[in-house]
Amino acid sequence: MSLPSGHTMGHTDQVAQRRARCSDIYQRRLSSRSEKVNPGIHSSSHQQQDGEAAMHGAHMDSSVRYTPYAISPYNRKGSFRKQDQTHVNMEREQKPPERRMEGNMPDGTLGSWFKITVPFGIKYNEKWLLNLIRNECSVPFIPVEFHYENMHASFFVENASIAYALKNVSGKIWDEDNEKISIFVNPAGIPHFAQKELKSEKVEKIKLAMNQQCDVSQEALDIQRLPFYPDMMTRDTKMASNPGKCMAASLHVHEENIPMVMSAVGMDKWKGTEPGGKCADRSPVCTTFSDNSSNINSILELFPKLLCLDGQQSPRPTLCGTEAHKTLPTCKGSFFGSEMLKNLVLQFLQQYYLIYDSGDRQGLLSAYHDEACFSLSIPFNPEDSAPSSLCKYFKDSRNIKILKDPYLKGELLRHTKRDIVDSLSALPKTQHDLSSFLVDMWCQTEWMLCFSVNGVFKEVEGQSQGSVLAFTRTFIATPGSSSSLCIVNDKLFVWDTSHQGTQSALFTLVPTAFSSVPAFSQEQQKMLPS
Amino acid sequence: MRKCRSHWSQGDRERHQRRSHYYEGPHTSHSSCGGRTREEVVTPPLPEHAAAGSPMAMSVDFKTYVDQACRAAEEFVNIYYETMDKRRRALTRLYLDKATLIWNGNVVSGLDALNNFFDTLPSSEFQVNMLDCQPVHEQATQSQTTVLVVTSGTVKFDGNKQHYFNQNFLLTAQSTPNNTVWKIASDCFRFQDWSSG
Repeated sequence: MSLPSGHTMGHTDQVAQRRARCSDIYQRRLSSRSEKVNPGIHSSSHQQQDGEAAMHGAHMDSSVRYTPYAISPYNRKGSFRKQDQTHVNMEREQKPPERRMEGNMPDGTLGSWFKITVPFGIKYNEKWLLNLIRNECSVPFIPVEFHYENMHASFFVENASIAYALKNVSGKIWDEDNEKISIFVNPAGIPHFAQKELKSEKVEKIKLAMNQQCDVSQEALDIQRLPFYPDMMTRDTKMASNPGKCMAASLHVHEENIPMVMSAVGMDKWKGTEPGGKCADRSPVCTTFSDNSSNINSILELFPKLLCLDGQQSPRPTLCGTEAHKTLPTCKGSFFGSEMLKNLVLQFLQQYYLIYDSGDRQGLLSAYHDEACFSLSIPFNPEDSAPSSLCKYFKDSRNIKILKDPYLKGELLRHTKRDIVDSLSALPKTQHDLSSFLVDMWCQTEWMLCFSVNGVFKEVEGQSQGSVLAFTRTFIATPGSSSSLCIVNDKLFVWDTSHQGTQSALFTLVPTAFSSVPAFSQEQQKMLPS
Repeated sequence: MRKCRSHWSQGDRERHQRRSHYYEGPHTSHSSCGGRTREEVVTPPLPEHAAAGSPMAMSVDFKTYVDQACRAAEEFVNIYYETMDKRRRALTRLYLDKATLIWNGNVVSGLDALNNFFDTLPSSEFQVNMLDCQPVHEQATQSQTTVLVVTSGTVKFDGNKQHYFNQNFLLTAQSTPNNTVWKIASDCFRFQDWSSG
């Protein structure tokens, strides 16, 4: 397979084409979002990009806004293009026959992997970019797992001298706008694909099709952990003819492909078309937000952490060494599965906590199923002798690891919405910090959503007034009327981070683009008792 | 299997005997011995099943569901974390084929991916301090008996500092006339201090 040089077409033609492709990609990214985005959030991320652009000397099209949170975690960038297929074939042909895909050198030692990054490489077509580098690079190289990551393009090479040669190419190549292209080289840990022999060809295809979030400097992160949808490649080939469309199409594909546990049937029920079962009239909760699109803005403003889907800063590159040291996968932010579900859940949470924090929790009656269940727990800490702000939760705490009394076991599991709301009303008054919320949508079927919310709240009255507690709350909900949720199971776990001796990370300012967003929105501040 | 017997309580032994009986049944495709039965979460048959043959349908009250949920949860948690710590390779036997795990925001879907994931996770030492469970309402599960299990405690992964963790499971029941086998349909795991992890 011959690689076309970068100059076969007329220069201006190429520039125009690439510009069109470039802005097309950005435009499609933006238009794939079904809801408007708060302009405030826009500008802060844009500023961030400008800063970076100044540093790297790369050109950033100022008419295009970059919205990192617009893209679901599975689709930061997509390379559903035929070129990737041929790329792999090429790689295979050139590889020495005795060398398998596990990173073993012929003498049995593990090779040194390096991650090569082209800042803002997302602007460049993969083939074009690699050609350009090849033309300038003094040694031949095999780029492995070329992928786009945020705004950058990256690939791996398995040789220190190659990495060094590539580093020397930095600043010696130019794009069609006559901007210098930089190349950054970092040592990488043993990439996931080098750890195990990849047996199936399917996995190869998936690897290429889904080469996003594949930061292989984390050894444990494995592409096979991403959902695998067998028909993905057939879809991809249809897209191959129009690369500009690939981005939006890949977003669309992934929105549909939500991990389904119990049923592969569609998700129509969640669009609020049919009410579920015995949910009683829920007007107090439902009528608060009738217009979805305009409310999304305010919701997103309240949940900045949720918008930063990949809330973790980039991992430190690990030097590959002789020890086969397993590392933990990087911890990530919220997972929703799809934009639609995200909006549904965020809306639900905002409504729920508005009432929960209002001072009168009776309004929550309409949020629960007639036969819902609720229980709460606090940590069991034998060393904990000092009275804590958790003491008010102690009498309701259900921990069946230590609670053996069958009567209490039954009592502490509240059943029926009346019982539940009564018991919630007896709990201390709170003010939840929606900006701290982190949500895991960990099970969804045609009939139910199951998600866990992690966050912090303040006690607003009593002896512990002002103290901050952390919580995890798991909701299992069925579709309700007017695209709302009907809670059937509610499990609250509350703990005090100060007693753990570790600072609550939920309080730690995880780097987001929205650090200017106050902890409590203006609406919430109005709700606080004066 | 024999070497582990000393770790088992009397309840475990009784259940093990029932298990062996189950596996000798005509619908089993493999022999009863070996490590397999240790990684099964098994409880007595579900009430509906016991009544399946009776002319009148027995209505099962809420309390029965709660008791059954507690039993499943307790049995499950013992086996799960011990398997995670000591017999990691057998862990995925506790999962349904299409089970999903969200581990600190990382999605792992299906048995193959789960096998891979647990293989790459460093060795662990779990300490569970809190356990709670609820029967999941049938409206959410279309009568597929399901239990929500929630745990909390500490974990030390080899090479990493100790973390507090919270974990949620949805266990679904696969009923036979003799007993019920519980498997994980969905799993959600988070460090409490995830952003510094």
